[in-house]
Amino acid sequence: MIRLEELARRTKATLCLACGKCTGNCPLAELEHGHSPRRLVARALTDLETDGRILVRKCLTCGACEERCPEGVAFVDFVREVRALLPPEERASCPHHQVLMQATRLMASGGSARKRLEWLSEDLRVAEKGDVLLFVGCLPLFDAVYADLGIRSTDIARSAVRILNRLGIEPVVRAEEVCCGHDLLWAGDPESYRALAEKNAALFAETGAKTIVTACAECARTLALSYPETLKNFKYEVVHLATFLAGRLKELGIEQGTADAETTVTFQDPCRLSRHLGVVVDPRAVLEAIPGLRLEEMSLSAGNARCCGTSGFQHCDAESRRLQTIRIAEARATGAELLVTACPKCRIHFTCAQEEDARRARVDGREPMKRMRTEDLAVLVAEALEKAAAPAAAQGGE
Amino acid sequence: MELATLEQAKLIFEKGTELEIERISPSPCTLACPAGVNVKGYVSLIAEGRFVEALGVVRDRCPLPGVCGRVCNHPCESVCRRNNVDGAVSIRALKRFVADYAAELPPPLLPPKPFREERIAVVGSGPGGITAAYDLARAGFGVTLIESESKLGGMLRYGIPDYRLPPEVLDREIDALLGPSVQVRTNTVLGRDVGLDELLAKGHAAVFLAVGAMKSRRLGLHGEGEIQGVEDALAFLKRANEGDRTPCGERVLVIGGGSSAIDAARTALRLGARSADIVYRRSKEEMPAVEEEIRAAEAEGVGFRFLTAPNALKVENGRVVALECLEVRLGEPDASGRRRPIPVSGSEFTLRTDAVIASIGQEPNLPFLGSRYESSVDRSGCLIVSDETGLTRIGRVFAGGDAVTGPATVIEAIAAGHRAARAIQRLIEEGPDSLLRAFPAPAARWEVGLPDPSPDRHERAHAPELSLSERSGFEEVELAFTAEDAIDEASRCLRCGPCFECHTCVSTCPRRHVLVRSAATNGERIASIDLLLRTPREGTPAEARESEARGMLQVESDGKEDSPISVTVGLVKSRVDERLCRGCGRCIEVCAFRAPRLVPGKDQEPVSRIDPTLCRGCGLCVSVCSTGAAEIEPFSKNWILDSVTDASPDRKVGRSVVITCQRRGGCLAPAAEEPHDGVEIIRLSCVGQLEAGTILKLIHAGAEEVLVAGCAEDRCRFEHGAGIAADQVELARALLRICGIDPDRVRSDWSEGREGDPLILNDLVGAGGRS
Repeated sequence: MIRLEELARRTKATLCLACGKCTGNCPLAELEHGHSPRRLVARALTDLETDGRILVRKCLTCGACEERCPEGVAFVDFVREVRALLPPEERASCPHHQVLMQATRLMASGGSARKRLEWLSEDLRVAEKGDVLLFVGCLPLFDAVYADLGIRSTDIARSAVRILNRLGIEPVVRAEEVCCGHDLLWAGDPESYRALAEKNAALFAETGAKTIVTACAECARTLALSYPETLKNFKYEVVHLATFLAGRLKELGIEQGTADAETTVTFQDPCRLSRHLGVVVDPRAVLEAIPGLRLEEMSLSAGNARCCGTSGFQHCDAESRRLQTIRIAEARATGAELLVTACPKCRIHFTCAQEEDARRARVDGREPMKRMRTEDLAVLVAEALEKAAAPAAAQGGE
Repeated sequence: MELATLEQAKLIFEKGTELEIERISPSPCTLACPAGVNVKGYVSLIAEGRFVEALGVVRDRCPLPGVCGRVCNHPCESVCRRNNVDGAVSIRALKRFVADYAAELPPPLLPPKPFREERIAVVGSGPGGITAAYDLARAGFGVTLIESESKLGGMLRYGIPDYRLPPEVLDREIDALLGPSVQVRTNTVLGRDVGLDELLAKGHAAVFLAVGAMKSRRLGLHGEGEIQGVEDALAFLKRANEGDRTPCGERVLVIGGGSSAIDAARTALRLGARSADIVYRRSKEEMPAVEEEIRAAEAEGVGFRFLTAPNALKVENGRVVALECLEVRLGEPDASGRRRPIPVSGSEFTLRTDAVIASIGQEPNLPFLGSRYESSVDRSGCLIVSDETGLTRIGRVFAGGDAVTGPATVIEAIAAGHRAARAIQRLIEEGPDSLLRAFPAPAARWEVGLPDPSPDRHERAHAPELSLSERSGFEEVELAFTAEDAIDEASRCLRCGPCFECHTCVSTCPRRHVLVRSAATNGERIASIDLLLRTPREGTPAEARESEARGMLQVESDGKEDSPISVTVGLVKSRVDERLCRGCGRCIEVCAFRAPRLVPGKDQEPVSRIDPTLCRGCGLCVSVCSTGAAEIEPFSKNWILDSVTDASPDRKVGRSVVITCQRRGGCLAPAAEEPHDGVEIIRLSCVGQLEAGTILKLIHAGAEEVLVAGCAEDRCRFEHGAGIAADQVELARALLRICGIDPDRVRSDWSEGREGDPLILNDLVGAGGRS
């Protein structure tokens, strides 16, 4: 109880006015009567063994509540740390029998002979040491687990390297990299997260890197905010790829290219990027620069964006599915043909939801809902670069 | 359909060493068998390729499997629920297959000599008498087996033709049943050579009359007894069965519609008759003969004249030359429930014939009753007995079979033999009053809807037969299945009943108290696929209570040493927590038994609900469930990991973990090895229950290697299990590789899982493992 009380004070949960503004913004509260951020805090403090733990596990930690709270209660930190107080079996409700979480736990203890660079194609140039390190994250694991969804998450990694190469950078990409630990940390297993963080920190120190770039919003949040809290002397500049590129658009030269046709797109702000890290302008700046793309915003966007329904692979229930379905409908309502994501996990969830709808449509004997194409920001930029390169080469030849 | 509680098996404490599990709700086929043969049991064993054990199951209740496998009228097939899909399972032919397969193997041994004082007389060596003699000999009694003919077998020998039941088969089966305890007296007629009272007075504690119904009914036509060329079917068939191949006539007419009539007609053709026609006073639908016999007769050229009754015999020179017949129409049903034949006056017509064989019914021949006749028999001349015990109106004299029921079937006679032996044993052990006490009754029928089986419709396979051109002599017409065909046909069995015989209860019991006994040849009672619970060595209730392993077994006792223990075995079923389910439908896709279906849950959103009467406990749904809503009762969510880590205080795992299914490495496996040191074997009902996350957890918990041994994909009992398991193993290996852990620490092995293909741990464990 002492730890709980101390946590409540530290996160300002004790200042709660019971005003209910958090509930008004919470995406789960819309769908599930009885779920609300302030109720979560109250129950966690008084009744953690029964009611409290259910609410604590269901929370998406998207931070929408924090946008509105007049007292500045740090709900998200509260939930993260309360989860660590739950008994181990109760901590993680990761679906698919915790396959991803188990894999990442094994990474902490596994050897260093990781076979995780096979996604690198011949034309990509990477280095063992350098100033800029590309943190790839669990993309190779996603390719294995979600093979039947028909998407390859490692496309994002290839695109990122290609873009950096075009900027004249050979990013550090190392096989010794381990999972950033985000999912384990948010599942209430800070010990395993710490083991992973320490492994990564040792690697980074060895590479001489000064800047760490990643294309995954959950990794970015973890490296930028969690690692400095956990590790001593973690002094790196950590940025999401969108931020890295937003400051180098001229160098990149994608504006010079032309597009075959105009495509209307809309953008899903990842919770960890928009709210946790406060980054909303950079991805938009990058999108604007891509020729032929017209950005139409969803009504709930930027700091108000609706969570994709799953965070840290911990939620796979009916409410998550409904959130995915609602968000896809909101994307379609903008008239966009393409939904752009900046986190590989958002893309997986949207794709999985649409696959499931197709499967259920077969069972129910109805038409499936119209597919909404999704693509990652990095892949769009890399594709635009291909088109921008071609005319220049042609000119050069002539 | 909801059951109030899942059906449970109750265990009965017996003899202090083993508890036989009595099923409360056996399958319809088992309930339909008059002798109580565990049909589902032996068909399941055949499907697993375990033929010898299957035969053991049969022999437990049917001592003449080769006979019944050829001539039984198979009430089991009539109620087989596969009838509603694509045809019953060919149960009788499967029984014949295992009887022939294991023919060379010695049957269970009999005691070398009687160990009881009392001696029992059995009169008649047909199926009823033989069964009673066998049961009584095994119970330790001396038996005097009295037979009026020169050879044993009764109707089996003298009534059923060789092309249906070869004499070598009959000889072999009967010889196996008669041990030193049985004194055989052939050519001994009760009443003529020894009297009933004499038997009782001179050293027999009881008598069982199984004399059959060997007196043929007369046609009632003028001159019947004196005319040449007119005889009754029993006499005719007996001659042929004794080896007499004299032709009986050119144009033969057989009067009657039962099995004997068919046998007579087919025999007549084999003896060289140009034609053999059956004359029957009702229509084809009412013929008592079995379907396949009618078909065989038609194929062989037997003619049929329905709705025809014999009216008079036309004679010339003392020999029959024609039969005058009347047409018949069918009126209201009579006492037997069949429509009464009413002759149509003025419809006389004549059929030329030189041999008329009468097969219109039989009665028991009971001259030895003497003055007791009137009080002992009913209107049809059959002995009156008490249903449960077979006791006649004469003290210490029991009866059963055709002598009681009139002409009936082999299996009913066998059932009567069992009944009498059981009653005689109780009479002797506990005195006459004990016969008033009820015997354990067969279980009530278990109502459940027919499961919608998988879309694969396999047409029924029938046993092969000799082609028509090959059927000139008396060689056996019906042949045996091949082993592959037998397994395929047996695999069509739906295994009706709440218990799917997955044997998870057997492998989860930590002390191996629950066992599946295989066919033993060491004189112990064969209990086969029915489960046994072996009490702890000391046999104390307290220790038995310790066997309450993981919720599967519940032990109750009143604490007294001598009191029976009541043990209940739970059933393995999947269940969905509707709060967690999101209705994705994956469970529906993998279930071969259509057990899960979508129902409205909270908020009217669809959720999955599993019908426990259809669920087979394989756990594939649990493996593919993305939210973890599905779980296997009665186990915990992490039961696979818990089973492995429970034993060690720090929850660390042993060196090698083998995960296998009941068929490859469990109770159903042929001669599975005992575990080595440091090797932990987990037996699931199907390896498809395992998924990648659990494999990784085992590695994380310290397992050096995880070996998944399952059945080949097209052999999986649950259809998709092997495929799911293979995918999960591949995923685990891919993830281990990425994580920098040697993927060969997770390996798999798939096989046919038949006899001769046991799970050999040495091949899998250690560096030499295949992957």
